Amino acid sequence: MSADDESADGARPGAAAVHMDGITKRFPGVVANDDIDFAVDRGTVHALVGENGAGKTTLMNVLYGLYEPTEGSVRIDGVRHEFDGPSDAMDAGIGMIHQHFMLVDTMTVAENVVLGNEPTKWGGFATDRAQAIEETKALAERYGFDLDPTAQIDEISIGEQQRVEILKALYRGAEILILDEPTAVLTPQEVEGLFDILEELIAEGKTIIFITHKLGEALEAADEISVLRDGKLVGTVSSAAASQEELARMMVGRDVLLDLEKPAAQRGDPILEVEEMSVEDDRGVTAVSDVDFAVHEGEVFGIAGVDGNGQSELIEAITGLHQPSSGTITFDGSQITTASRSDRIGMGMAYIAEDRQKRSLVMDYDLRRNGLLGCQRLPEFSNGFRIDWESTEEYVDDVIDEYDVRPPDPSADAHSFSGGNQQKFIVGREFERDPSLVVASQPTRGVDIGSIEFIHDRLLDLRADGTAILLVSSKLDEVRQLSDRLAVMHDGEIVAVVDPDAVSEEELGLLMAGEQPAGITAESARVRGGESA
Amino acid sequence: MLYAGAGLAVVAVACLWLFGPVDASSIAMALRFTVPIGFAALGGIFSEKAGIINIGLEGLLIIGAFSAVASMYALSLTPIGANVWLAFGFAIVASAVVALLFAIACIEFKADQVIAGLAVWLIALGFAPFASTIVWGQVNSPSVDGFSKWAIPGLADLPVFGDIFVMRPPVMLLIVAGPLTWYVLNRTRFGLWIEASGEDPKALDTAGVDVQLVRYVGTVLSGVYCGIGGAALALRVGQFTGGGETMVNGRGFIGLTAYLIGNYNPIGAFFASFLFGGLEVIQLSIQRTSDIGIPTRLVGVLPYVIVLVVLVFVGKTQMPSSAGDHYESDD
Repeated sequence: MSADDESADGARPGAAAVHMDGITKRFPGVVANDDIDFAVDRGTVHALVGENGAGKTTLMNVLYGLYEPTEGSVRIDGVRHEFDGPSDAMDAGIGMIHQHFMLVDTMTVAENVVLGNEPTKWGGFATDRAQAIEETKALAERYGFDLDPTAQIDEISIGEQQRVEILKALYRGAEILILDEPTAVLTPQEVEGLFDILEELIAEGKTIIFITHKLGEALEAADEISVLRDGKLVGTVSSAAASQEELARMMVGRDVLLDLEKPAAQRGDPILEVEEMSVEDDRGVTAVSDVDFAVHEGEVFGIAGVDGNGQSELIEAITGLHQPSSGTITFDGSQITTASRSDRIGMGMAYIAEDRQKRSLVMDYDLRRNGLLGCQRLPEFSNGFRIDWESTEEYVDDVIDEYDVRPPDPSADAHSFSGGNQQKFIVGREFERDPSLVVASQPTRGVDIGSIEFIHDRLLDLRADGTAILLVSSKLDEVRQLSDRLAVMHDGEIVAVVDPDAVSEEELGLLMAGEQPAGITAESARVRGGESA
Repeated sequence: MLYAGAGLAVVAVACLWLFGPVDASSIAMALRFTVPIGFAALGGIFSEKAGIINIGLEGLLIIGAFSAVASMYALSLTPIGANVWLAFGFAIVASAVVALLFAIACIEFKADQVIAGLAVWLIALGFAPFASTIVWGQVNSPSVDGFSKWAIPGLADLPVFGDIFVMRPPVMLLIVAGPLTWYVLNRTRFGLWIEASGEDPKALDTAGVDVQLVRYVGTVLSGVYCGIGGAALALRVGQFTGGGETMVNGRGFIGLTAYLIGNYNPIGAFFASFLFGGLEVIQLSIQRTSDIGIPTRLVGVLPYVIVLVVLVFVGKTQMPSSAGDHYESDD
């Protein structure tokens, strides 16, 4: 680390907390950041938005000292710095809260907070645990965090873990906090909690930069918003003066339809019928109790609900990953309650899993081999003994081409792609098999806005072709926009099936919380009655 | 896990009592037999908690045992003369150096830890008898002087139990090493780093601690402990025997099992080692007294059967999440 001699004694009054000047970062073959000027004032929240691969994270990694910029300079409080690594950045008062938390699960909150900077006693022969707990507690209280310093990390919620990460940075004296997609893993309530914390931090004079691609959140929480596209800074706007549409246009470079144009459903015969089905989770607790519904050709049947109300178990029972404890599932006229996963795939059931890295991809496989996953027994790809790699390659090339997977390299490993491109590839792989039923669980979770639009369009294309679609999403606007009929799950039961255009968000919220809003009961009874008739 | 460990010790003593009269001398004998197992177990905890699974503990014990006797022999040919403590020190250094090589293979050259660990064992298993043959013309060394027993003042004069407190220094070292290891792992910064290094090395790295250095130190410590254990074994017997599986005869692997039973808790590992030490006593007494002629090999199976039974009752052990994985820093 080196600082200008003239100003080595400290901050220049009036200078921006962060000033990145003309930052260019080149990787072999790629310009990740192209001449970016980026400044953040002290005591403000600055959102950095852009699609996956726009260069947000690269820019922040330059600021955090993980990358050395090819060109350009970084000034913190007006003092020029050249960081050799994150520890230099930390010394300069920069803390980063990564998307994947850097916490040791088996250790306590306090131990994680002090890790690497432990207070010691007895001449260094022991960590001063009492002091670690005391300091953590004091810090948590100062910023209004409700945290038990002695709780073990794997016993606390994701939202609390995030607060521990923030405490870690504060404990190391961070004045500038970088949060990488902090809301991606949080529930809506936890997001609100996080925004309260950000306000608290600002009140204490901290400066915050957060990376996101959720425009609503950027508008809500930030004072200023900078938009990156293809490695370039498109512009910086004040959140008071910006609109979602404007930001989306800056981000994608064209108009984005935030409201979907959806033709009326051409509803055909029922494809999937679920009758009186109950499912137990891995611990033997009833997760889905006695649900009844049918998904028809050419319609999107949506399931809304707060995560953890039985949606995952329901989907796993339908796709064949989990046996229901009672009830039947009928697919395309035949009973598949106990059919194997590969039978269901063979019958034309496509599945976009909630956790793409665990369920949909083998992260160490290249796209070619990932493209084969699930269809390895289909006659197009295998003669029963050996795999037909040529037709697999053709298929994968098609998917990459049609679904705009970037970079278009079938021999690259899955983990080298961004979340959005991984998801586009999975969607392509599943949709190109010409399914008669698509089971899509959180199809746009952690995906950038351009890819979301793309995936939504494809879903509606399939719907227009007469495919039945079962959609589960915890994003309320998504299920409302896409679904023709919308079921609400609470505590393992379908509490109502409603017309998504006829209910308000508040009414849905009440249903999701397990309450029956006045006026909905009769209507949902009608929809349910109409269905079973 | 502490309770489980203490429970195991009770079981061990109960076993001793079932198979023969428990007296001070059989407990003392069990403690003696515990020494190489216990040191291997405590050392293995350091390395595996840091993220390097050291399956080569057995090999390190062999290196320790051979180096101790070879040093005694070599020293006796010099003007310095045979010195047990000096030989003890050389054995520790030799074992630590081999552990360092193992760590370099695993960390620097990203070798598979299990395969590299097996290599350590196989190389030691081949090298020690080979070196014996070169030096002494046979796989067994001639007799050398070993440690002599010390009586702990006061305690050794107790009635009935007095004999327990007449012991060789390595036994005392082990009794100190158990709690000391627990203290280092649970109460010092280094212990916290070891845990973080094995659980979530990236978290430790971003906290500004050098993960690879922590892993090197953890692995070399396992070498130091095994050096002590191997040397203690050879300097008790006063000879290195290199036939078959050598005089170490699986004690390293038993040590590995002991720390798994103790679920990486040094105190638990100590008591589990003591259980195995006690089983060895029982084995000997069965072989010596039995008229029914139980085959030696069958009796030798006993520890492993106990392991299975104990693991069923003690429950599963929780491995460090990142043990066995290479770690590469991004910056």
